[in-house]
Amino acid sequence: MLFVWREAFAGLRRNLTMSIAMVITTAISLGLLGAGLLAVRTIDRTEELYYSLIAVQVALDEPTSAGDPDCSGPVCTGLRDELEANPLVAGVEYESRDAAFERFQRIYAGQSILQLVRPQSLPATLRVTMADPLRGTEIVQQFTGRPGVRNVVDQRSTVQDLFSFLGSVRNATFGLAIVQALAALLLISNTIQLSAFTRRTEVGIMRLVGATRWYTQVPFLIEAVVTGLVGAVLATGGLVLGKLFFLDRLLSGRLLANTIPPVGMSDVLLYVGPVLVIVGAVIATLTGYVTLRLYVRT
Amino acid sequence: MIRLENVTKVYPTSTRPALDDVSVEVERGEFVFLIGPSGSGKSTLLRLLLREDVPNEGNVWVANWNVGRLASRRVPRLRQRMGVVFQDFRLLPNKTVAENVAFALEVIGKPRHTIRTVVPEVLDLVNLAGKADRMPSELSGGEAQRVAIARAFVNRPLVLLADEPTGNLDPETSTGIMTLLERINRTGTTVVMATHDRQIVDSMRRRVVELSSGKLARDDSRGVYGTGR
Ligand SMILES: Nc1ncnc2c1ncn2[C@@H]1O[C@H](COP(=O)(O)OP(=O)(O)O)[C@@H](O)[C@H]1O
Ligand SMILES: [Mg+2]
Repeated sequence: MLFVWREAFAGLRRNLTMSIAMVITTAISLGLLGAGLLAVRTIDRTEELYYSLIAVQVALDEPTSAGDPDCSGPVCTGLRDELEANPLVAGVEYESRDAAFERFQRIYAGQSILQLVRPQSLPATLRVTMADPLRGTEIVQQFTGRPGVRNVVDQRSTVQDLFSFLGSVRNATFGLAIVQALAALLLISNTIQLSAFTRRTEVGIMRLVGATRWYTQVPFLIEAVVTGLVGAVLATGGLVLGKLFFLDRLLSGRLLANTIPPVGMSDVLLYVGPVLVIVGAVIATLTGYVTLRLYVRT
Repeated sequence: MIRLENVTKVYPTSTRPALDDVSVEVERGEFVFLIGPSGSGKSTLLRLLLREDVPNEGNVWVANWNVGRLASRRVPRLRQRMGVVFQDFRLLPNKTVAENVAFALEVIGKPRHTIRTVVPEVLDLVNLAGKADRMPSELSGGEAQRVAIARAFVNRPLVLLADEPTGNLDPETSTGIMTLLERINRTGTTVVMATHDRQIVDSMRRRVVELSSGKLARDDSRGVYGTGR
């Protein structure tokens, strides 16, 4: 048993350049796969976050916003009652012009945009939480153009752009991961063939003194699996660095803070890391096995 | 120990058989010279015994194995009970003398403590105890062949096959190799040695099996190389 390990590492050392290339390619493809998995995870979280927050906003027109701050007039109460009676609607909240302004001040505290906004430029709104967030457009259609209504906005359609952006990031990452995985596969296969070729004398002697096929081939398999594992560990390390020095900054920056939830270290180490180790080991083993079966006759 | 029954071997690339209806039997513990000019089929016969190839016709028996019909997964077992040395030694250049010998035991999964005791013993037997840590490139031809013999013998094979083991050596060194093979034969190991070295065969007076163009030409129990050559 010791023997086959020694042989495997001797093999990795002998073709050091190839081994390094093989490890790097594997690491890159697994890293991309990992990034894709993180993207999926983040998208799921973001969606969850948003669907609990998003609503359909029914903005009231200027006379109603200015003249009925408590939503006690017939126009405002009529709209509210009708919304509350609608089976698609889970709840309705009234937000007056002043309340909207206060919230606005809170969100943009210390930012120059505050200077530009007066309470008069904000409408009073009825915030409609949907029983089914996917059917907001029906409310939009029903209430657009009604008396007292300035406009109706389904926040989901705004958020949709963000999701489709995240989705395409994910798809691109997976696409690259697949291309890279293919390169890694070919490289592993090629390295095993090369390794088997450089060691043909040795393997010939092994066979002659009665080594089983298992004994002659397991070192090559170990070479492949070690490559896969080292690649997976490097990929996970790369993702940790990427998280610390890129994602964390990006997601806490002004642009995306509170828009996309941060990626946790546990996502990288406890979820993606193990997946990459398993995928790396399995793919390397299969590649090694198939290569030995098809190309290496010993 | 070894029995060939009407064995014919034709290589796919040639029309003339390399072995043509050869029947021969070797008892346990015998020492047999397999002689004949180049191309007469000596190596082919040894290859069949090792199951490096299979005969087209006839049966090859070694101990209780029907070698030609052996399932390929059983071949390692057969080879573990046979030792083989070649004209070109076939040592691993990147391993020391001791490692080359140990290799034969490692690859068949022998435990390490066994290897640690057995390897020095066999190196002692071939008079190379002092050179255990040398690399093959630092050895003379005779020494390299003794390492190869040590490797072939270390697992105490039933049969030792030698394919022109003295082919690359000068006469004096060859004598040393022959002494060693005789010593191994005296431990009860059957030895079959292919050679066309007339001097060695004549001096040893052992059984001689002669091949000529793949046919069995002669089988003398205490033979010489032959007349008129
Ligand atoms: N692998 C092979 N393929 C085709 N022909 C072979 C092969 N090996 C040996 N031969 C032929 O078989 C015959 C016997 O060869 P061999 O057994 O090597 O003879 P020897 O060892 O007595 O010199 C020769 O004619 C040789 O050319
Ligand atoms: Mg020959």
